Parts: sequence; structure tokens; C-alpha cells
Amino acid sequence: MVPDTDLDSQDAALAAEGDSGAFERLYRRHVARIHGLARRMAGPDDADELTQDAFVRAWQKIAQFRGEAAFGSWLYRVAISVILGHRRRLAIHRERTAPEEWNREGRPSHERSSEIGMDFDTAIERLPARARHVFVLHDVEGYKHHEIARMLKITAGTSKSQLHRARMLLRATLA
Amino acid sequence: MTDSADTWRDRLSEYLDEALEDSERSELEEHLEGCEECRETLVELRQVVARAGKLVDAPPARDLWPEIAYRIRETEEGERHESRAGTAEAGSSLAGRHGRSFTFSVPQLAAAAVTLVALSSGIAWQIAGGFSARQAEPAVPVAQAPAQTNLLLASRIANNDYESAIAQLERVLNVGRDRLDSATVRKVEEKLALIDKAIDEARQALSADPSNAYLNRYLVGTMRRKLDLLRRTAALTEL
Ligand SMILES: [Zn+2]
Repeated sequence: MVPDTDLDSQDAALAAEGDSGAFERLYRRHVARIHGLARRMAGPDDADELTQDAFVRAWQKIAQFRGEAAFGSWLYRVAISVILGHRRRLAIHRERTAPEEWNREGRPSHERSSEIGMDFDTAIERLPARARHVFVLHDVEGYKHHEIARMLKITAGTSKSQLHRARMLLRATLA
Repeated sequence: MTDSADTWRDRLSEYLDEALEDSERSELEEHLEGCEECRETLVELRQVVARAGKLVDAPPARDLWPEIAYRIRETEEGERHESRAGTAEAGSSLAGRHGRSFTFSVPQLAAAAVTLVALSSGIAWQIAGGFSARQAEPAVPVAQAPAQTNLLLASRIANNDYESAIAQLERVLNVGRDRLDSATVRKVEEKLALIDKAIDEARQALSADPSNAYLNRYLVGTMRRKLDLLRRTAALTEL
């Protein structure tokens, strides 16, 4: 059996030549992870659209994919930049419709017991934006602080402290 | 020590990630021996990290590919034609949403690039999004033999559900607009005005040059953008 990464390289090369069938295969292999990333980073309402935007952007840029990194990693970078760009555009709207529900003490402002058993993904979605982005990128996706700092335009120190903040908040969801 | 000034509590994630200097690590370990709260917190943090690593990604509830396929067909000519120009394939076949097949020839794209300069509306440019600036440089030899070209005429799209879909979405928006904040309404109205202007311009230009590939494609893309914008805004009113 051919490993997925080899299939990816082949299909990426074909897609760069304009083969949309090859690109659809790449889409099928990666859509779940990209959609999960979009949902956790930006929330469920925008996840479908952001996933589509990410793949359209990837198609437009695929000629720039040189095959040095795995296609999956490259696609991730593209998706993250699409998602973060979207976040910046919608920032005002989101702050209005989803006010922070967590207080500064690192605990939910309401009864801790009500959080028990809460779906972990839901808890991630409810984190303050910056802590959520850092947590998803670091603990879910495995990026390093210096990489996250570059993506989010923050310092590595801020990335570390936001990660800690997110983890502390998420303890509340542990049953 | 368990007082509120327990600064080690803030370093537990770094400890967990093995990011502390040796000296700090041994100091923290020493602190852990005497601080139950930090020990408990550390256990919980480990659990959080372990859970994050075990998250499962379910595929989206609906198939997102058809719209992606539609959109990449739309950008195909703009983004990559320069790399394919001059190859044996002079034209690129595109299947329309309703199963029609249409083709743009390389010379037509060159002509389109010239038209583009004439169009030169920065606004239209922005809305058109997917087209790259490089498209404006006609690197394609116009003398090449023209391929057989079947153009999708924008007027035929207009005969489809487009107008009624627009009308329906506009009704939804009128009913639901009270649920949007005024800043959003203003932004959407501004965008719609720009898109309508671009559609008008494209239609006018097309009446003078009905077989122009770029203009046809541009009009279709702009109309689709209007649909998208209305759909997204209508979805916001349902929140
Ligand atoms: Zn302590």
C-alpha cells in the first residue's frame, strides 16, 4: 500500500498542472482535519466556508508548493492564514455576538459544576480567541511557540502564557 | 505553600512542556513536594494536554467539494494560465454548473488582459478576488491559432435561477435585517452597491463585446459573489 504522503506528493504535482481530479483526492484526504482546524479556531458557524476558502486558496497557490514539506503541513499553513485573516475581518462582529464568558481568574464565571461533562470541543470554542488560537495550534496541531508567535504576530512569551491560560480554563471541563 | 502569590502555578505548563531551565526545573520540583495545589493542577493540565492530542476530526456534515470545484474552475484561467500558455493545449475546457461545457482560448485571454486594463476599476478588481494581478501582463502570443471556443454567455446564466434566488434572499434580508447590527448592515449594503456597480459595468461592456471571454467570466463571478454575500448575510439574520 502506498502511504498517504506519497499519494499526496503525486496528487499535488498533478494538481499543480491543473488536474482538478487530483486536487479533489487531496481534498478528500485532508478535509476532515482542515475542517476540524477551522471549527476549533473560528467556531462551527464559519467552518464550512473557511474550509472552502482554504482549499480554493491552496489550489491558487499550489504551483508554489515545492514538495519540501509534506503537502499536509503546507496545506495547514495555507488554511491557518485563511482562518486568521477571516478572524481579523470578523473580529468586531464576533466580539459583539460572543462575549467572553470566562473571567480573568482562570475559571468560568458561572458554576464550575455546570461545565463538567461539557464536550471538550465546545469548551475549546468558548475560550477567549487568543488563548483558543494558541491552544489549538500548540496542543492540537503541534506547532512550537516560535512558530505560533510568527503566525499570530505575538511574542513567544505571550504564546506561552496564553497556552497556560487556555489549559487552566479547560481543566474545568474535566469530569 | 498555597497562597495566592504562588508564582510556580503559572510555570506549570512550561514544566509540563519541558521548557524550563534545569535550575528552574529543580526549584519547581522542590516546590511541588510541598504544594498539593500545584501537584493537583499539574495532573489536570496533563489530562487537558492528553485530551487535546486525542481529538477526532469528523468530516464536515455536508460535502463541501462541489462549491470548491466550481470556484477553482473560476480561478483556473486567471491564476495559472501564464504557466500553461504556449503548450500544445491552447484552450482549457470548463464544465459549467449546469453541465454546459465552454472553452477559453489563449488569444482570448490575451484580449481579456487588455480589456482588463480598460476596465481598470479598482473596486471591480477587489470584488473579482480570485484573479491575480499577473493576469494583466499579456505574456501570451496573440498570433497563436484560436481554438474552437464555446462561450458561456452570461445572459444564459441570468435566465436560470439567479434572479429568483437573488430576489428571495433579498426578501429574507429585509425581514431579518433588524437582527443585524447597524455596522454589519452598512457594510453589506456598501458591498452590495459595489457588486451591483460591477455587474452593471460588466453587462454594459459585454453588450459592446458579447464574445469577450474575460468579461463573461467576470460577470458570472461577480453575480456569484452577490449570491454568496446575500446567502451569508441571510444566514447571519438566523443566528
Ligand atoms: Zn504551588
